[in-house]
Amino acid sequence: MDGSRTYGLVAEFDDPEHLVDAARAVRECGYTRFEAYTPYPIRELDEIVPMTDRLPLVVLLSGACGTITAFLLQWWIAAIHYPLNIGGKPLNSWPMWVPIMFELTVLFAASAAFFGVLFFAGFPWLYHPVFRVPTFERTSDDGFFLCVETRDPVYHEADVTRLLYSFEPLSVWEVDDE
Amino acid sequence: MRIDEKQRTAARPPEAGSGVTIVGPGSTFHSVTEQITSIVISPDVPPFWFWSFAVALTVVLAFLVGVVALISTGVGIFGNNIPVAWAFPITNFVWWIGIGHAGTLISAILLLLNQTWRNSINRFAEAMTLFAVACAGLFPVFHLGRPWVAFWILPYPNTMTVQSQFRSPLVWDVFAVSTYATVSLLFWYLGMIPDLASVRDRATTKLEYTVYGILALGWRGASRHWRWHKTASKLLAGLATPLVLSVHTVVSFDFTIAILPGWHSTIFPPYFVSGAIFSGFAMVLVLAIPLRKVYHLENLVTIRHLENCGKLMLATGLVLAYTYAFEPFTSWYSNDTFEMAIVHNRAVGPFAWSYWAVLTCNVAIPQLLWWKRNRTTPVILFLISIDVLVGMWLERYMLIVSSLNRDFLPSSWFLYSATTWDNIILYGSMGLFTVLFLLFIRFFPMISMYEIRELLPFSSPGGGSEK
Repeated sequence: MDGSRTYGLVAEFDDPEHLVDAARAVRECGYTRFEAYTPYPIRELDEIVPMTDRLPLVVLLSGACGTITAFLLQWWIAAIHYPLNIGGKPLNSWPMWVPIMFELTVLFAASAAFFGVLFFAGFPWLYHPVFRVPTFERTSDDGFFLCVETRDPVYHEADVTRLLYSFEPLSVWEVDDE
Repeated sequence: MRIDEKQRTAARPPEAGSGVTIVGPGSTFHSVTEQITSIVISPDVPPFWFWSFAVALTVVLAFLVGVVALISTGVGIFGNNIPVAWAFPITNFVWWIGIGHAGTLISAILLLLNQTWRNSINRFAEAMTLFAVACAGLFPVFHLGRPWVAFWILPYPNTMTVQSQFRSPLVWDVFAVSTYATVSLLFWYLGMIPDLASVRDRATTKLEYTVYGILALGWRGASRHWRWHKTASKLLAGLATPLVLSVHTVVSFDFTIAILPGWHSTIFPPYFVSGAIFSGFAMVLVLAIPLRKVYHLENLVTIRHLENCGKLMLATGLVLAYTYAFEPFTSWYSNDTFEMAIVHNRAVGPFAWSYWAVLTCNVAIPQLLWWKRNRTTPVILFLISIDVLVGMWLERYMLIVSSLNRDFLPSSWFLYSATTWDNIILYGSMGLFTVLFLLFIRFFPMISMYEIRELLPFSSPGGGSEK
């Protein structure tokens, strides 16, 4: 298409072996802006596709927020805002706050895990250039795709094409950016 | 298709006696996708679905009549009265929430323990959890007398300037159950996103494409996304594991924190948790056995799955039997007159029938699961599961009514009996659960496709299906 930039080159593979081999080769050639698309998580790709996973840290911090929130909520209500004297027991009877502190820790941490995935992955993001690959619906079935993006600093179309073709792809497509 | 043939040859027949096959032989990535998505997008809905939906919907209508009668008339239409203030509604609440627990056990605990066989059953077990918790959550609200002010239990700034009493397990319960419902929903939906994308990519109509497209959030199987997805699943599993134990523990605190004889006991948390998981596995089997038959899923939900659920049911049932044995022992050992009286009352009092029915249903009959033949015959497993569900309902009924109807003062003793409305709302909630579950299996992928793909022998680049 005239006037539109190319997003990247996408190779379709028949099986996970070829995809992982190709991805490893792409990585070894110094590319960083590439992505594999697979119907299920492939552990080998975790070490090949460069990424930082900050999700556990976010979940930890959010869980800690939950604990603190629950404590402050209960302490403030029971000891300051609405003190009830029941049999002369202490107002800040903190062991009784533990169940709700636990529940809010889990609630905050679990919400952070879920919305964290959405945030990091940029979801909801209903459109993406790779969806232009005619057979891309196989990525949620039995197709294995590897996309090297043009924004990669060392991207060179002829080199990438040659590299991808050397791993027996079913086909290689050039996809346009929007 | 070329790849299919290659995968079929790679799918070696199971070695005799190894018992390691989780998915039936001959399955390929594509066959799994087709098999599961076709249930959702195919216009051919099995007649079984329509019939059961029609029956369940009728029951829901009866349920709605019951709820309208309850709200317009008041809680007096139930048989509850002081001192038996809890009776059916709380029995139903504890029963339903307990059923949900097996779903979380399968999806979270078995994930952390790398029990990959769970991959075929975790999705619908989680859906079961969600709908069971939804049914459970209704009962404490119905039971309030003025259900429209149920939100008063939440801490929020209000013009009455009153606040929640955080020393009460009833308030803990609100936090526990609502957290449980939220976490179950997030876990279930997160796991379903890749499979919703599979349905989106196979959609045949514009409407399906749009709806599943939005629900899949734009999932495209990128390896970075898989990595976050996997991290989040593991973290959610790690969070849900103590959560599920805490929920029924908090439910048991509703009982134990009261000083009532028969309730005031430290064995209640493990007693309740084991009973919950016991009844939950029974419900998993009650759902799985007809489903695999009607939707021809025998290759994915194999006899091995049923047998494993049967084994877990037997194990949790034995823990429960132990607590049943220890309850009278602790009463006797405490040397407390009232505690001893309640043991006596349970065994020979006005509700003795429920006590002996509980022992028969939950202790005696599940012993049939010791025999492999019974664990591997779906019909027998189904019947035992129904028996366990009935037994676990009766257990909560027995615990609540036999303790409440005769407390310390004989002048306040009261002989409880349930009314028709009690029964309508109990059976109605089963209809509600069934309707929700049938809608789920019609419109959502009920088996996790991507996790099944991971189990296929050719899924790992190095060969073999080791995870």
